[in-house]
Amino acid sequence: MADGAALAVEEIVAGYGGVLVLDGVSVSAKAATITAVLGANGAGKTTLLRAISGLVRPRQGRVLVGDANLARRKPEDIARAGVAHVPEGQGVITELTVEDNLRLGALSRRGGAGRSVALSDAYRRFPVLAERRRRAAGTLSGGERQILVIARALMAAPRVLLLDEPSLGLAPKMVAQVMGLVRQLRDERGLTVLLVEQNARSALGIADKGLVLNLGTVVAEDDAAALAADVGLRRHYLGF
Amino acid sequence: MQAFLEYTLGGISVGMIYAAIALSLVLIWRGTRVLNYSQGGMAMFTTYVAWLVIRDTGNYWAGFAVALASGLVLGAVLERTVVRPTEGKSPLNSVIVTIGLLIFLEGLAGIIYGGQYRSFPAAFSVTGLKVGGVALGISRSDVFTAAAVLAAALVLAAVFRYTSVGLRLRATAFSPGVARLLGVRIGRVLTLGWALAGLFGALAGVLVTPSTFLYPNSMDSIFVLGFTAAVIGGLDSPAGAIAGGVLLGVVLSYAGGYLGSNLVLVYGLAVLALVLMIRPSGLFSAATARRV
Repeated sequence: MADGAALAVEEIVAGYGGVLVLDGVSVSAKAATITAVLGANGAGKTTLLRAISGLVRPRQGRVLVGDANLARRKPEDIARAGVAHVPEGQGVITELTVEDNLRLGALSRRGGAGRSVALSDAYRRFPVLAERRRRAAGTLSGGERQILVIARALMAAPRVLLLDEPSLGLAPKMVAQVMGLVRQLRDERGLTVLLVEQNARSALGIADKGLVLNLGTVVAEDDAAALAADVGLRRHYLGF
Repeated sequence: MQAFLEYTLGGISVGMIYAAIALSLVLIWRGTRVLNYSQGGMAMFTTYVAWLVIRDTGNYWAGFAVALASGLVLGAVLERTVVRPTEGKSPLNSVIVTIGLLIFLEGLAGIIYGGQYRSFPAAFSVTGLKVGGVALGISRSDVFTAAAVLAAALVLAAVFRYTSVGLRLRATAFSPGVARLLGVRIGRVLTLGWALAGLFGALAGVLVTPSTFLYPNSMDSIFVLGFTAAVIGGLDSPAGAIAGGVLLGVVLSYAGGYLGSNLVLVYGLAVLALVLMIRPSGLFSAATARRV
């Protein structure tokens, strides 16, 4: 594994049934960095996150977090090892209250003290959630739900955060707010973030590094600023 | 008026037994979308265990406690061994497995205990209670039946609502995929759901058997009515299971009292059809609000 990497994905091969979606993808991310994962629909971005969090079993390759190889472990065990996955489409449990959603995020922590500290931290950071703590999460707006799922992912104090399309369906102002939050989490908590985005421009705006997937392989990997400046790459893969 | 009172109270008491069976079905359905057709057979089996303990020790409460404990264990063991392999497969697999389990349990009970009807004791007196000379139509035993199910249901509600285990159970019921990503070990949660279902089934078994006798098929018709109650309540709502059980018990009690008891099962079907016509997903179902 590369020196100082908090998350290292090595030569992952994964797919669904007979369809191969990832054909030997490697990613290495240092602690306290944001890596934007870009590419067209069907490039394998979401599958990459699912292979890391265990929702898809990788057929080959390793997923290293710290010193542990998490490939082919169960999703719940990978979550407990410090990898938080916020899937696309948000995944708030609409029937539960805002507070129960947050408490659920902290259940993998040992001890009640850490859990209640995490809860009051979340309310301090996200006053909008504190106001709505007793309401069913289904009553929240799209932007509030996105904040809730990120806040819930943080409850377990993860080392690695996998974010799938957090800007999807949000108003531009809300997108900026969510992107600002991701950057803040990197700086304050030292989180290692893998950010999957259709919106390449806003993702590269906050990312340290970026990688571009096409048909299941990495076609470009560089500093975010360099990727954003590469006119050919932008025209071919990023669409801006 | 006198008859109305008797039918109402009697209906509530019987309805709480249907409610316990309904609750046991709901506990499993919520987490796994498996309909446990063997629930009646499991309850019959644990009641035989209670019968053995009472016969050998002469202590009713020892039998009662052992029945509940064996319900817990039986539910957990069956989930781990027989039901787990059907997880994530076609729903037909679990239907076949649980029906097979029912046939197996009833056959096994026949081999071990024989097919004859055996009387099973009640916790308290079964003679009718009177208040100020007015017969209530129920006995101390009926009051105990209703109180025991109600108490168990309230404890369950408190566990669901106030404990972290309950939060895991609810999250897994609503959204198992999200729960896993948050580190909930859903395998354990599903085992716990089956254990709790076994407990409520066992409770229904010891409470109803004094009035039905004990034999390998003794829970079959109770299961059908408990299943009806669960569907009336919406199949995924614990509160709906209780309400469905009591509603069904009271309606069947009126029907049996005023119209004659020959067609009680048909009346049960009529109640079910009526509820499903008005609210196809059941009285308390959250299905309409669910985003998948």
